[in-house]
Amino acid sequence: METLLALLTVFTQPDLLLLVAIGTFAGIYIGAIPGLSVTMAVSILISFTFSWEVYPAISLMVGIYMGGVYGGSRTAILLNIPGAPSAIATAMDGYPMAQRGEAGQAIGVTTVMSFFGGLIGILVLALAAPYVSVFALKFQPRDYMLLAVLGILLVGSLSSGSLVKGIFAGALGLAIGAVGRDPLTFTERLTFDLQLMEGGISFIAVMIGMFGVSEALLQLQNVDKTAVRQKITKIVPSFGVIRKYLPLSLQTSTIGVIIGALPGTGGDIAALMAYDHAKRVTKNPKVPFGKGAMEGLVAPETANNAAVGGAFIPMMTLGIPGDAVTAIMIGALFIHGLNPGPMLMVDQPDMFWFIVGALFMANIFMLIFGLTGIRIFTKIVEMPRAVIIPLILLLSIVGAYAVNNSISDVYWMLGFGVFGYFMRHYGYPLGPVILGVILSRLLDDNWRRAIISEREDLGRFFEGILTSPLSFTLFAAVILIFVSQTPLWTALKTRLFRKASQ
Amino acid sequence: MDPEFRGDQDHHDGTSDATPGGYPAERRPGELGFALFLSLASAILLYNAHAISGFDALSAPGSVPMATTAVMLIAALVVAWRTARLPKVTTETLRRDILPVTVLVFVGFLVIFGLALKPLGFLPTAALFLIAAIRLLSGWGWPRTILTALFALAVIWIVFRVIFTVLLPSGVVPEAEVIQFFRALMSGGAA
Repeated sequence: METLLALLTVFTQPDLLLLVAIGTFAGIYIGAIPGLSVTMAVSILISFTFSWEVYPAISLMVGIYMGGVYGGSRTAILLNIPGAPSAIATAMDGYPMAQRGEAGQAIGVTTVMSFFGGLIGILVLALAAPYVSVFALKFQPRDYMLLAVLGILLVGSLSSGSLVKGIFAGALGLAIGAVGRDPLTFTERLTFDLQLMEGGISFIAVMIGMFGVSEALLQLQNVDKTAVRQKITKIVPSFGVIRKYLPLSLQTSTIGVIIGALPGTGGDIAALMAYDHAKRVTKNPKVPFGKGAMEGLVAPETANNAAVGGAFIPMMTLGIPGDAVTAIMIGALFIHGLNPGPMLMVDQPDMFWFIVGALFMANIFMLIFGLTGIRIFTKIVEMPRAVIIPLILLLSIVGAYAVNNSISDVYWMLGFGVFGYFMRHYGYPLGPVILGVILSRLLDDNWRRAIISEREDLGRFFEGILTSPLSFTLFAAVILIFVSQTPLWTALKTRLFRKASQ
Repeated sequence: MDPEFRGDQDHHDGTSDATPGGYPAERRPGELGFALFLSLASAILLYNAHAISGFDALSAPGSVPMATTAVMLIAALVVAWRTARLPKVTTETLRRDILPVTVLVFVGFLVIFGLALKPLGFLPTAALFLIAAIRLLSGWGWPRTILTALFALAVIWIVFRVIFTVLLPSGVVPEAEVIQFFRALMSGGAA
């Protein structure tokens, strides 16, 4: 009964419902405007909502997350520019459809399929998370440590580009998170004896810099790109179309949930994997893939929205983020005095059920807003970048300043913005940095707990890993990712990808 | 599908964390320099991490920082070594593709913004920044630039100052008094 009440919190309080709606609406547009990403929006929003109560703040973020993952598909279809990273695969078949004059149908199917995928993700979250959290209570400190390492490595290895660069980025994040006074012994760490660094580096400044400022600086090079107008007619798809792709969408939703639930990997990777899967299983597409195949739209769009629910599973049960956005949300929960992890599910199950309810509502709003308001949509997306970029920068500054009312945070943000700008140019992924910053404390604490309980004996520590099935599995996964860097594996991967592209 | 697909064919911009920019088989201008810089920075951090507690104990406060900075150093060296062996991209220059003047100018703008924020206050600083930035990027005439900038600023200010109640340095503008005036007006009207 209490569960039901918590689940319905969002429905019974009109202001929360309104915030979810506003968030979803804003999310769709933020996702749709190239250069504005969900990660950026959520990281800037934390700093604005931290004085709020926790429920309204979470409502807004959940809405933006859900809407943003979907919104990226719009511009991918209409302009061939994925508005968000999770829509990269959508552009491959969506844009050719728009070129044939089927933009309306493409958007309609995308919307309904995103809704469907989102729904499955939320269902799995609601059903699986309570069990995972019971299971999570058995986790030893060393398991948490391994899981944190695994999360950082996964986000570095599954995204395209080099794993070594991903490892560097993750380690950098951990190091940034360690700056300041050590919480256990109060020793200064990596502060260079500067008073400025004693309190540590504000992770919000790091986040806004990396995802807001660096993105805006990059977009400066695309100021002149203009939008193409498209005429859109019928968008609500017929039931027959939906039914036809139902089996495929079930499979790709499953992929989405699983990838989303893996620590560190989110909708962008899920979408690419689902696209690959659809290519493999669709024997005779009506239109070839890459030329406007409907399957090529259904697969990534169900998967990326299913990944949203999936990403919350490790976040709510273990305190380990499922992707960059949930990493930021963990930061938000910390700021609100909550401590995500298995105990959160035990102590405050309401929080969990509230999030499930909010996600569900966000999904419904996404469907409603997605199938209406196309006209305003094209107007907003055509907003000139010459105005958008300065606004992003302005919001970034306000956001970084607002949390601690400190100018030095603004400079941290600027520094990390410029640094992130170079990282993007030279192919270093930014996701692992944020994951590292968020997980730094967890990894450090659990390592020390684990090794102290083994009386500082490395031999006993490894014995513990090898004898516990759970630790061993996690350890094996970490090793496997490292092995994946050897030439043998690379050869295998290229062969696999070549096959899939045929 | 191409495993190296970056979502953007012409600039390889790296618009997201899942699709970092850069080229898999070529070295962009300045890439090696960046890798060497990272190696040097990691080495300094490692030295600093060692100074925290040395090799005292496995559970000492410096253990994890030392491990992470060591990983950073190794990874950065591997990256630098791999990068050095790649052929250079022939079609790009540092000036045009990595650090164009606009980017430098904007970084300058932001530094000035930070410096001016406290003494001048948020509203005037932001207004000046928006006008300068929009003018520079769009090439519109002054009236259109100024109107757009002020309109955008008004929206942002209302959303963040009034709805989100974010406190921003007021500087030379008596913000609080203005808000109080309108509050009084509203409640006066209601009563």
